[in-house]
Amino acid sequence: MIDLDDRYGPWSGRVWGLIVNLAANALALYGLAGYLRDGSHLPHLVIGVALTVGCIFLLAKPSQ
Amino acid sequence: MSEQEQARKYPLAEAVSPEQLQTETAELERLQQSPPWTRAWGYLKLGGPGYLDAATTLGAGTLTAAMLSGAAFGYKTMWLLWVSMGLGMFMMAACARFTCRGGFRVIVEQNRYHGVIVGSLMTGLIGTAAVAIIFNYGQYSIGTHLIESLAPMLGFAFPRQVNWVLFMVVTSYLTLSYGRGKRGITIVESFMKLAIATMLICFGVCLALVGVDWRALVRGVFVPWLPSGVAGVDLFVASSAAAIGVMDWILFQYAGLARGWGRKHETLARFDIVFGLFLPFVLVNYLVIAVFAGTLHEVGLAPETAPELASALAPLLGPTWSQILFYVAFLAVPVTTTVGMSIAGAIAIHEALGWKPDTRSLRWKVSALLPQVGFLAVWYPRPIWLVVAIAAFLSLSNNIVGWSFYLLLNDRRVLGEDRSKSYVWNLGTMLLLTLLNCVAIIYVFNRLGWWVR
Repeated sequence: MIDLDDRYGPWSGRVWGLIVNLAANALALYGLAGYLRDGSHLPHLVIGVALTVGCIFLLAKPSQ
Repeated sequence: MSEQEQARKYPLAEAVSPEQLQTETAELERLQQSPPWTRAWGYLKLGGPGYLDAATTLGAGTLTAAMLSGAAFGYKTMWLLWVSMGLGMFMMAACARFTCRGGFRVIVEQNRYHGVIVGSLMTGLIGTAAVAIIFNYGQYSIGTHLIESLAPMLGFAFPRQVNWVLFMVVTSYLTLSYGRGKRGITIVESFMKLAIATMLICFGVCLALVGVDWRALVRGVFVPWLPSGVAGVDLFVASSAAAIGVMDWILFQYAGLARGWGRKHETLARFDIVFGLFLPFVLVNYLVIAVFAGTLHEVGLAPETAPELASALAPLLGPTWSQILFYVAFLAVPVTTTVGMSIAGAIAIHEALGWKPDTRSLRWKVSALLPQVGFLAVWYPRPIWLVVAIAAFLSLSNNIVGWSFYLLLNDRRVLGEDRSKSYVWNLGTMLLLTLLNCVAIIYVFNRLGWWVR
């Protein structure tokens, strides 16, 4: 299991998690924009939302 | 006291004598053994930074948004307020933890662990100080308009080209009072409490005159509703993320340090966040939304600026005294926000530049009075290019500052055993950070033409 407080390269797992969450948020909003415009980009929306939810629940874990 | 503890101690707290702190701590211990009502009343009297934050957050922009929302959508968007402020509470609790258990100055720790770009620049100079200076134009604009409109009801003329002097004198006096010992802090915090009480009572009386559609109000508070399509997404994201921001976090954290708060104050700090910040903020907004929902929304009027909204509302309130009450309550909004933002700005400038805050120094006074440049709003509009630049920077940096706070809260090196050990607390903080991310992303998407128009 990933320890969020260990370092992986330049940053800790928590920082990487925040970056992945930001990317997931962007993907979800990109999908949402397309879906609201013409019903397209539904896969982007679904994957983005799923990743966002995953990141939020993962990063909510307190440090050991 | 170790060297590190000395570095962490906030100089403004030196004005609070050890005897005063001991008395307050003894009072807190006594209250913990008291029945709930006695305890709550005691905490209400001892609280302060929360009211300071509420009075600062309840600014011209927030009230204009509430008026517009009430006029355009009636009661329907009331639920957004408790949701947005509720999410903000998780970050405010982190600030309380930094103050009471960490005892550190957050910008200094950000500089140490996350770099000066995140600490001094994003949090201090732009996120707080620049915001205080630029956004005070709006407070001056609405404040002088309100005095100009109020004066004829009291039988005299007081044009804004003259009344800005009164606005400046009152707000400058209060701003400079802060930090002059325990008494100065008490003067400012008591003024903020009084101003919030004025808003609640005066807007409450106006609402009693207008009348309430209780069924629609309860629905608006508890049943989520948004305009359809992208307007709904924009409204939700903007409202959820904008209720409280970097300035509120900084003001609360440092105001607690200035009061000399320590470990035994954390319960008081949390009480202050809920009863000093959350409830007043939500209630004042509810009252304003309900007044406009019961008047302008009913007759289908939807002016776009605050002075137009207030002018359109006045005749619908009936007797002159009720209009006076409305204007008095509304006037308390820019006055308190100017004071709060000026204090926050001075604190942030000193922290960002590594200056020792000394409220008797010329440097402090100049820093604290910088937002008074907003008096130019009487003659000139805000410099749009600067507003756009600051708004852009804020949209793109609020989330990064939020990340920094979340990381500090979970960092063993910073808080040791006092770091967050609560899954729910971290979950709430992450939800807030995700909303702040969305604000930044939507800003970029808008610039790229990717967002729905």
